[in-house]
Amino acid sequence: MSQQLLSELPELATSSSRIFWCRLWRDKSARHGLIIVSLITLAALSASLVAYLLGHGETEQFRDIALSDMGIPIGPTAAFPFGADDNGRDVLVRTLYGVRVSLLVAVPATTLAMLIGLFVGLIGGYQGGKIDAVCQQLINLVLSFPFVVTALSLLALNQGGENGPHVSPSLVVIFVITFFSWGYFARLSRGLVLDLRQQDFIHAAKLMGVPSWRILLRDVIPAVLPTIGVFWAIQLPANIVAEATLSFLGVGIPAPNASLGNMIADVQRSAMYQVQPWFLATPALTLFFIVLGFNYLSSGLRNVLDPHLEYRQ
Amino acid sequence: MALLTVRNLTISLNPGNTLVRAIDFHVEPSETLAIVGESGSGKSLSLLAVLGLLPAEMQVQGEIVFNGMALHDFNAHQKRQIRGAQIGYISQDPLSNLHPLKSVGRQIEEAILAHQRVGRKALRHRVLALLEDVGIRDAARRYHDKPAKFSGGMRQRVMIAIAIALNPALIIADEPTTALDATVQASIIKLLQRLQKQHGCALVFISHNLRVVADIADRVVVMRHGNIVEQGEKQTLFHHPQQQYTRTLLQAGWHQHESSQRPVLTTPLLTVEAVSRSYPLPGYFWSRKRPTQVLNDISFTLHRGEILGLVGESGSGKTTLGKMIVGLDSPQSGTIDLAAKPWAGPGISRPGHQHPLRHAVQMVFQDPYSSLNPRRKVGDILAEPLQITARREQGKLLSASELQQAVFTLLTRVELSPELINRYPSQLSGGQRQRVVIARTLGMKPQIIVADEAVSALDITTQHRIIQLFSRLRAETGLSILFISHDMDVVAALCDRILVLEAGRIIEQGSPEQIFQRPQQAWTRRLLEAIPGTQLPFNEGGNYEPAIA
Repeated sequence: MSQQLLSELPELATSSSRIFWCRLWRDKSARHGLIIVSLITLAALSASLVAYLLGHGETEQFRDIALSDMGIPIGPTAAFPFGADDNGRDVLVRTLYGVRVSLLVAVPATTLAMLIGLFVGLIGGYQGGKIDAVCQQLINLVLSFPFVVTALSLLALNQGGENGPHVSPSLVVIFVITFFSWGYFARLSRGLVLDLRQQDFIHAAKLMGVPSWRILLRDVIPAVLPTIGVFWAIQLPANIVAEATLSFLGVGIPAPNASLGNMIADVQRSAMYQVQPWFLATPALTLFFIVLGFNYLSSGLRNVLDPHLEYRQ
Repeated sequence: MALLTVRNLTISLNPGNTLVRAIDFHVEPSETLAIVGESGSGKSLSLLAVLGLLPAEMQVQGEIVFNGMALHDFNAHQKRQIRGAQIGYISQDPLSNLHPLKSVGRQIEEAILAHQRVGRKALRHRVLALLEDVGIRDAARRYHDKPAKFSGGMRQRVMIAIAIALNPALIIADEPTTALDATVQASIIKLLQRLQKQHGCALVFISHNLRVVADIADRVVVMRHGNIVEQGEKQTLFHHPQQQYTRTLLQAGWHQHESSQRPVLTTPLLTVEAVSRSYPLPGYFWSRKRPTQVLNDISFTLHRGEILGLVGESGSGKTTLGKMIVGLDSPQSGTIDLAAKPWAGPGISRPGHQHPLRHAVQMVFQDPYSSLNPRRKVGDILAEPLQITARREQGKLLSASELQQAVFTLLTRVELSPELINRYPSQLSGGQRQRVVIARTLGMKPQIIVADEAVSALDITTQHRIIQLFSRLRAETGLSILFISHDMDVVAALCDRILVLEAGRIIEQGSPEQIFQRPQQAWTRRLLEAIPGTQLPFNEGGNYEPAIA
């Protein structure tokens, strides 16, 4: 209703999303982050295409052509641009699939954690009192679980019957990562809401008789979202590392499927990287760049979205 | 010879953006020079240039000679030798200029140790003497207290103690009383005057308010847009201002009394009956929480169409009372009736959004920055109350064109241009924001507006315009206004009746004439004495009239 009203005016109403992207692009670290993150996303999307072009599947072994007579994997050639691993599998193809898995696990897990954390933080912070105390205790409880031990036992429980795991291990990994990261989102949003609740514009909305859900939706959530969004970008690389950790420990994405974590674990098990460093360097450096890219992006977002800058210009 | 001479001082930010243009002024030893101007006039920048504290990206040209030393040629180290030791500085915001984690005693010690080597005992002695000198009682006990345990006025006293610690020849005070209550402001000005006499130093007093300056200055410099408009002896400048701008500034200093014709008040609208409220004092968890009585047996009536003033210092409970009346807090005992129906009291839940009279009591807040959602445009902010009112009165929402019309009408009523609907609050001035807040309350068609220090954060000219707006709105709509303020002068200019609140009790009430001419209580007299600049030439109507040059 009011949107329509505003658009009818001759004022130079530059769209706020365009301004946002311009400012983001002007920020150096956000620009670097955006470039790296888009390259990574492209890489993940191109995994099947590259596999098709090279004619090497994710789990296909080419022992005859990719291993030397001594059984040592070859380095980069035209057929294997980043060399092969000790089973004769294409490192490039596997890394691209690994990136895809990393994003497919970490992005939903972080987003889910954000939504749960936002919900709990909003309810606790806005309602206060007993509800808030319960939420706080819940967060404390969750955050006091040791990550690796809990994850290992949950995933071990999942490997029950003869017909393989009860639930798809990647779903369990998503669940575990979500479980361990929503608490931070909840704490952050609760703190923000506690501060907002004291602001006079929230008082004014209450005095006008605006129902609570509407105040939350129109005044509180838009004010909280930018900070939470920045935190999403901060938490994401941590969760990518968490997925890699679980896969490295052998409880994440099951072999023979590729994930950056289990690729690094393979390398370490065979000790072959001493003669053929390519198949350690590729997944490790890729992991490094993913984390770097998202960290750049998050700090750029923080520069652009800093509520204090926007507040009193 | 002048103590400080500033010649041809120009401050610019990037070429082409000149903030201060070739100004000249000087300060004689042990005189008080007041520099007056609106915000953005360059008054603070000029003095920060003297101190060498301007941001690095600003370029300074011109001569600054202090005590025979050419400060404009000094390097950072040499400037540091002068600052604090020979030029003391007092800033506007005592909240952010004291380190929150260091005791006040430590902070004064640091100021001394930055320039002198003093033994521990002698140091403590000096700091204690300074604390007593600036009027902090029980100095020995408060020595180790952190700033959080001091009130705003007390913190400003600590700042002053730091400024005078090394007996500087010049003290620069940048709006030292603007953030303070009227009574505290008066006491700080008295303190500065006494200390200046005692130490024989010169004082540069920066302010946006000519009236505050009237009590303290020997000479006055009026600045605007980076230029000096006029400077001269106080008497000459106040009584025979040469420039139109000076005259405007002088006239704005004194609020014109608005309610010359008071309406006849017959219908009580809001009745407050024996209301009390106490809060548990936050203490350590093992100590017993002793409640503090914030409001004590408050009774009064607000009539239809009345503007009632509520005056008191901060901590007197006036904000709590305002919150209870709008329904953001509840009384522990006593009742508040609105239009002869129970509105608030023990056992009555706070009026929620379903309450039939929820729209009737609205509030205008002190801080125009936090009372508007920074993420919503003005048009959107004003649409909300209009739609709520439409649903209440007609059972349906307004169409887009009706809404646009209604938003325009609201903006016109508070004297704002309709073009503002696409602006965000951050793009508005303080006065414009406060008008938007008033428009938002008007959109609810309220019967009562509670204005809690609604003009205190604004500069004096804007204060005056907002007061006129309130007065006009009352005349047009028969609105009742409860106007809460610490400033007796503002309240007298607007209100039909004044209640004086002290420590949670109403100690005096009456019309502004009664209160001003025959104050009954010592406390009321103190509030009246705190009004600055009473020695200005006024006519019988209480309005300022400078001689025409």
